[in-house]
Amino acid sequence: MTPLLEIKNLKTRFFTSEGVVKAVNNVSYSMESGEILGVVGESGCGKSVHALSIMQLVQDPPGKITNGEVWLDGQDLLTLSEKEMKKVRGFDVAMIFQDPMTSLNPVFTVGFQIVEALRLHNDMTKKEARERAGELLALVGIPGAEERLDDYPHQFSGGMRQRAMIAMGLSCEPKLLIADEPTTALDVTIQAQIVDLVKRLQAELGMAIMWITHDLGVIAEMADRINVMYAGAIIESGNVRNIYKKTRHPYTMGLLGSLPRLDEDPGAELLSVPGLPPDLLALPKGCAFAARCGYRTEKCLEEKPPLEEIDGREHAVACWHWEEIAGSK
Amino acid sequence: MAEITTEEITVTDFAVREHRSLWVDAWRRLASSNTARLGMFIVAFFILSTTFSHFFWEYEPKKDLNYSLKLKPPTLIPNEEVPSVHPFGTDKLGRDIFRRVVHGGWNSLRVGIVAVSISLFFGGLTGLFTGFYENIDTTHIERLVLFGLTGLVLGSLSAWVAAQPIQAIFFAILGVIAAYFKNFQKGKALRMVVFTIAGALIGAILGAFVSGAAALISLIWGAITGALLSRPLDGKFFSNVMMRLMDIILSFPGYLLAIAIVAFLGPGLEKGMIAIGVVGIPVYARLTRSAVLSVSQKEYILAAQSVGEGHGRIIFRHITPNILSPIIVQTTMGLAGAILSAAALGFLGLGAIPPEPEWGAMLGDSYRYLTSGAWWAVLFPGLAIMFSVLGFNLLGDGLRDALDPKLRT
Repeated sequence: MTPLLEIKNLKTRFFTSEGVVKAVNNVSYSMESGEILGVVGESGCGKSVHALSIMQLVQDPPGKITNGEVWLDGQDLLTLSEKEMKKVRGFDVAMIFQDPMTSLNPVFTVGFQIVEALRLHNDMTKKEARERAGELLALVGIPGAEERLDDYPHQFSGGMRQRAMIAMGLSCEPKLLIADEPTTALDVTIQAQIVDLVKRLQAELGMAIMWITHDLGVIAEMADRINVMYAGAIIESGNVRNIYKKTRHPYTMGLLGSLPRLDEDPGAELLSVPGLPPDLLALPKGCAFAARCGYRTEKCLEEKPPLEEIDGREHAVACWHWEEIAGSK
Repeated sequence: MAEITTEEITVTDFAVREHRSLWVDAWRRLASSNTARLGMFIVAFFILSTTFSHFFWEYEPKKDLNYSLKLKPPTLIPNEEVPSVHPFGTDKLGRDIFRRVVHGGWNSLRVGIVAVSISLFFGGLTGLFTGFYENIDTTHIERLVLFGLTGLVLGSLSAWVAAQPIQAIFFAILGVIAAYFKNFQKGKALRMVVFTIAGALIGAILGAFVSGAAALISLIWGAITGALLSRPLDGKFFSNVMMRLMDIILSFPGYLLAIAIVAFLGPGLEKGMIAIGVVGIPVYARLTRSAVLSVSQKEYILAAQSVGEGHGRIIFRHITPNILSPIIVQTTMGLAGAILSAAALGFLGLGAIPPEPEWGAMLGDSYRYLTSGAWWAVLFPGLAIMFSVLGFNLLGDGLRDALDPKLRT
């Protein structure tokens, strides 16, 4: 079976006055339909930019996708014209964004915005679309959905707005839903509700979900597979069990070490990854993480490690020393 | 301390909760402000009185002459000297100033509305397009339109200098051709040479039909236009050309430019409208553009793109309603400015052609008689200008407070 989404050697660059920002560097991976993929990494590591590259919504100028292929359902999205791409957006791939406070247009009612998204891709009358919009709002768990269609975004709470955004994203039942840090701007109880909602919807509707976050806790709960990104490249990838239990990349280990744990001594200090991510304007020759890594050797500074499959299937890591690290643990 | 019983606590019924739009909120804030109410009252009075006066009497300025009633003071009760009622007195030709003020108001209102519409339409569209296409990848058709437009605008300048309107169309075509060969990656220098020569030739040939000087000027301007059109073609370039053009218009003092345009077009109320309108274009263009630039960065615009909405829809459905508030305020203030400008042009004899009444022209006709004691001939048109401008400004201030984005939640 061909995968739903297959990305090959994706490169995205921002051509600024200070130089070329290498935001996404040779990212390749694939996603099966119905799968939940988590993409994690710290701020500025290219998570969002690579998702926007799939949708071809990278701000241009200054951004440009300089290389690669994005195959969705047997179609290379990067070869499509803007007109054809418009049909893909929202219909095949939908996206929800980080800040629910600004992702709904304040001058239109919530219902109007969902109806608009519906009518864009479906041949529906206004009445049918309105009915469907009501159903969608009910599906994402907004009480009194029918009536709340006529509310303006400012009358919704943050969590409700994010639910409304999800309803809009689901309006055409896309094959792939990209959620770009959908819970970051929400408080913890609402986060849990949104995570439950998305898991429930995924089970009901069966679409694939790409969940972009920097919260490893949220992702552990819902993802099937995880891609860890650093400086615009995937440095470790595998199923959830492998990533959490058989961590092989020192950066992933650092990320996991920085999470507080319930089964730990409350007095214990949290680990942090020392240093800052590299400047994307001038990436080092060797491994991008080398400067902050405790396992660094000459080779790391000289040569970039490839993303290799290890331990059989379902786990890949880009590190020269993963075997030593596995042994030392 | 008073005891609070449960009966005193009222519970809001959620079923009857109203769906309040931002505009309704803004209207409530506007209606609750005293200055805005005063402004609205004056503006409404001004509009209604000048509009409805047509239903009560016909005013024919050419027939309204009576030398026997020259410069009579305000008269409410007819007497032997002044047999008819003249609440505001009469002017040097014995015309009733009250009627002329009311009818002149109709002219001022027309000038205001038409001039502001011209500024708003051209300035607003310029701002919308330059702001939106500044940071967005253009499709092929958009490029053809944008570069056709750039050619048309640049060409119009040349056409104006060479008095050959057809030139503008030729340059527009040159722009479209330039956009069509966007993927002409190799030979950038060649491309530049070809377009520069083409532009120079179009200018020179068409200019030569008028005069040698016109041919020379439009040769130079045509070469510049051609060279500009051979540059990398994207939204940023389009927005640069348009906004620098706006800067050029803005660099002239407003009244001076308006007088220059009227001098070029010839006097008359309609010419005055065009002149005042053109002078106002860059103000609206800059205002709109800055608002568009900030709204374009909002996530809901990205969200609209991500559900597959096209550029046109995003500009007019999503961006436009969100930038209306500063534009509404500016338009209201602009009406006051346009009325004042029209009066200034009229005072200088460049606005309405006599005997058509116009407030500024009435002042210009009558100020000489101030020394001989005919204060009424100057006072009433002056008051009319003052109050109408004050009304629009108060309303604009009120609107600014009511539509203040900081009050939005």
